[in-house]
Amino acid sequence: MRAAVQTLSLLLFTLLFALANFRLPDWLPADIYLRLNPLLGLSAILAGRAWVPRAAWGLVLILATILFGRFFCAYVCPLGAILDFLDPVLFRRAHRPPLKAEATLRRVKLVTLVVFLAAAAAGASLVYLLDPIALLTRTYTFALYPPFVGLVNLLLDAIRPMAEALRWVRVSTLSYTQPVFYMSLITLLIFAGIIALGRLAPRFWCRYLCPLGALLSLLSPWARLRRTVGPECPACGLCQEACPMGAAEDEGRTRSGECIQCRTCAAACPQDLITFPASPHLLPPGDSSLPDLSRRGLLTSMAAGVGLGFLVEQSPFTPLQNKQPLIRPPGALPESEFLTTCIRCGECMKSCLTNTLQPSLWEGGLAGLWTPKLDLRFAACEQECNVCGKVCPTQAIRSLGLEEKTHAKLGTAILRKEMCLVWAQDKLCLICDEICPYDAIVFRTIEGYRRPVVVAPRCNGCGYCEQRCPVEGESAIVVAPIGQIRLRTGSYVAEAKKLQLDFRPNPGDDQFILKNEGLRVEPGPAKDGGPAGRPPAAPGATQKPQGFSQ
Amino acid sequence: MTDRHGLTRRDLLKGTAAGVALSLPRLPRPAGAAEPDLAVITGEPAAATRRAVEALGGMSRFVQKGQRVVLKPNMSFASGPERASNTHPAVVQAVAQMCLEAGAAQVMILDNPLQSAELCLRRAGVADACRNMKNVYVQMFTDHKFFREIKVPQGKVLDRVEVIKEVLDSPVLISLPQAKSHSTTGVSMGIKGLMGLIWDRWSFHSRYNINQALADLATVLRPKLTVLDATRALTTGGPSGPGEVVKPNLVIAGIDPIAVDSFGVGVAPWYGQQFRGRQVDHLAAAGQRGLGKVDTEQLNILRATA
Repeated sequence: MRAAVQTLSLLLFTLLFALANFRLPDWLPADIYLRLNPLLGLSAILAGRAWVPRAAWGLVLILATILFGRFFCAYVCPLGAILDFLDPVLFRRAHRPPLKAEATLRRVKLVTLVVFLAAAAAGASLVYLLDPIALLTRTYTFALYPPFVGLVNLLLDAIRPMAEALRWVRVSTLSYTQPVFYMSLITLLIFAGIIALGRLAPRFWCRYLCPLGALLSLLSPWARLRRTVGPECPACGLCQEACPMGAAEDEGRTRSGECIQCRTCAAACPQDLITFPASPHLLPPGDSSLPDLSRRGLLTSMAAGVGLGFLVEQSPFTPLQNKQPLIRPPGALPESEFLTTCIRCGECMKSCLTNTLQPSLWEGGLAGLWTPKLDLRFAACEQECNVCGKVCPTQAIRSLGLEEKTHAKLGTAILRKEMCLVWAQDKLCLICDEICPYDAIVFRTIEGYRRPVVVAPRCNGCGYCEQRCPVEGESAIVVAPIGQIRLRTGSYVAEAKKLQLDFRPNPGDDQFILKNEGLRVEPGPAKDGGPAGRPPAAPGATQKPQGFSQ
Repeated sequence: MTDRHGLTRRDLLKGTAAGVALSLPRLPRPAGAAEPDLAVITGEPAAATRRAVEALGGMSRFVQKGQRVVLKPNMSFASGPERASNTHPAVVQAVAQMCLEAGAAQVMILDNPLQSAELCLRRAGVADACRNMKNVYVQMFTDHKFFREIKVPQGKVLDRVEVIKEVLDSPVLISLPQAKSHSTTGVSMGIKGLMGLIWDRWSFHSRYNINQALADLATVLRPKLTVLDATRALTTGGPSGPGEVVKPNLVIAGIDPIAVDSFGVGVAPWYGQQFRGRQVDHLAAAGQRGLGKVDTEQLNILRATA
C-alpha cells in the first residue's frame, strides 16, 4: 500500500517536472510540491521579509501533519521514495549495526533546521542547500533530465535506420533537444552522497539530516494518529529492528517525532500488538519525542545560523552586486529580494524554452549559488515564452503575462565596436539588426559609413543579437544589466512607459539600410525623387535622408 | 541523389517537356498549348494557389505517383500570417493537398527555424492547417544529424554545403516562399528561402558574399516548382518582421525560380521604393549563371483571378 502511494507520488512529481515547460497551462501548478513545502515558504518569508502568497500552500502540509503525523516522509516525499526504492537494491547485503552516535546524529537535522531559519532571519536564504524538494528538483533539472534526454536520443538514433526503412516518418525524424547546464556534476555528486549515506543506516538522510523532516518532527508529536503498543508486548525487539526511522523504543514507547506512520513495525510484530488509533490526548505519557535539542544546542545553532547568514550576506559581493554582469530572468525581483526569495529549485531553468537560464556558481557570491542567470551568448530569451515566472514557487521570478514580461527589461545591448565585423572590418554583416525583434539595432551613416548602433530605449535585453553575433568567441554585442527593470510590485508596461521605452517595431528605420543592402539603386537621373545619384551622406547626416521617404 | 538537383535548367526543362509530352494523352488540352512561364493569380491564398498550379499544367506535371515530396515554406519565425514573415498556412496546405491528389506517397513540409522549433510550429500555423492530412508531415530539422554534406561543383564561393537529408533523398522539392523584405539581401523569396535548408547559414553572412553564395546554393538546390506567396508582403522589417505589411493578393507560380522571384520583386514597393528583379543582387548573380530569367518582360505570363 505504502509503496504504491510512494510510487504514485514519485510519478506525479516526475510528471509535473516534465510538464514544466513553455506549454504549461496557467491553471496547472507544476511547482505544487515546492509550494506545499512549508520550510521553503517559511525561509523565503523570513529572509525576504515579505509575505509570499504561494507559501500559503505550506499550511496544508502543516495542518495535515498535525492531524496525521509525519506521514509526508513515508508516503509523499519523492526523495524519501527514491531512498526507499534504492535501499533494497543497493544495500540488501549491507550489515548496518545501530549507529553509536545515533542520539547526536538525530539532533543534526534539528541543528540544520535552526541554522537555516536563523540564517534566513539574518537575511540569507540557505535552506535550499538541504531542503529535500528543492534539492531533488535541482537534481532532476541539472543532473538527471539532460542525460535522460541524451539517452532517449541515443535510442532514437539506434532505431532510426529501421524507422527510415519502414518509413516511420514520425520516428525517423524525431530528436529531442538536450539541455545543458553548468554545475550538473556537483549537483549529481550531492545527490549521490545522500544515497550513499544509506549504507550507514536506512533513510540516513531522513533520520539525521533532512531539515524538512526536522520541521515536521516538531509538529508530529501532536498528531491525532499515534503508534500504540499493546500491554502484552513481550519486548521481542523485532519492531525496533524493522523501523526505518529508529522511532520504536524499548517497552513499547515511541519517538513520535521520528515516527513517519509507515507501519513497518505493525507488519513486523508477530503478535499484531501495534496499532495506530486516533488519540484524543495531546501527548501520551512516556513519549520521548519532544525536540531533544538542549537549550545550549538551540542557542549555539541559532548563533551559528545568524553568523552564517551574515557571512553570506555581508560580503563584498552584496554591495558590489551591480558590478557583476548577471542578467536575471524577466520579472525577477530586485536583486537583494531576489537572492533572499529564490530557493534554487531549478524549476525555472528546467522549464526555460531556450536553455538560456543557467545556475550561477560564484558570480553572485555565496548568496548567489545556483540562482538563475541568463547566458545570452548560449541562447536568447524567447519573447513568446513566460514560463519561468509561472513555475517559480516563491515568485522570486514574478509570474507575468506575455505583454508584461516583454516589458520586464533585462538589460541593454552594448555594441563592442572594436570586435564588430562592421565597425572594425567594414564587413557586410547585419545579423544583429536582422534578428532583433524590436528593431533596436539600426544602421546610421557615421562619418560616411553605414554602422550599426543600438537604440537603447527599444532594447529589452532579449539577447538574440548576443547569441547570433557571428564573431567567434565572445560576442561583439553583449547585453549588460544597464537599464534593467526589476519591480517588487506593479506593472512593467507602466514602468516602461514612464521611462519612455518602446518595445515595438519602428519600421521607418529600416529605410536607412537600403543602400548597399543587396538592392542596387539604378544609375541615372532620379525619377520620382529616387535616391539615384545621391551624394554620399555627409558626416552627421540627419536620420531621414531625402528620397527614402516615399 | 545529389545529381537530381545538379540538373541544369536546360536538362530540367527538357525532362519536363518530355514528361509533359508523355502525359499529353491524359491532358484535356490540345497538343501544343504551351503552359505559361509564370502564373500570376489574384485571390485568396488557397484558391489562388490552386489556380496557379493548375495554370502551369497541374501538380501531376511535377509530382509522379508514389514520389516523396518536400515542401519548403517559410516557417522559421514564431509569428502568424498577419505578420507576413512566414508563408500563409493555406498556401502550404493547398500545395500539400495537390501533391496528394497527384499521388505523392509522402509530403514532408520542413524548415530549419530561426526561433524555437516548437514555437514556430505552433505560431506559423502550418502544423494546424495540415493536421489531419494523411502522409503529410510538418517537421523542423534543427539537429546536425539530419544534415548531409554535398559538393557545389559550380560554386564560386561555396564548394560544399550541408543540406537537410530529407531534401537530398526526395526527388521533388517545391519551394513555397513568402514575399518579404530582407535587411541583407534586399528581398527574401524563393532563392533566399532555400537558405533555410542548410546547416551553416551564418557563414553566408560572415564569411562569404551572401549574394554569390545564394547563387551557388541555387545551383544545387533546384525546386521543381516555386509558388511565391505574395498574398501579403512584408515590405519593411524583414525577414523577421514585424514591419509594414501590404496586400498584393497574389500567388505567383513558375518552374524558373529566378523568374518567380524577379516577378515578385515588382509586385510591392520594398522599403518604400519600386525595384525590378535585376536590381536585387542575388537574383542578378543567379541570372548571370544562367539559372533563370531576371527579366520577366519577355515571359509568357498568365494572369487570372481565382
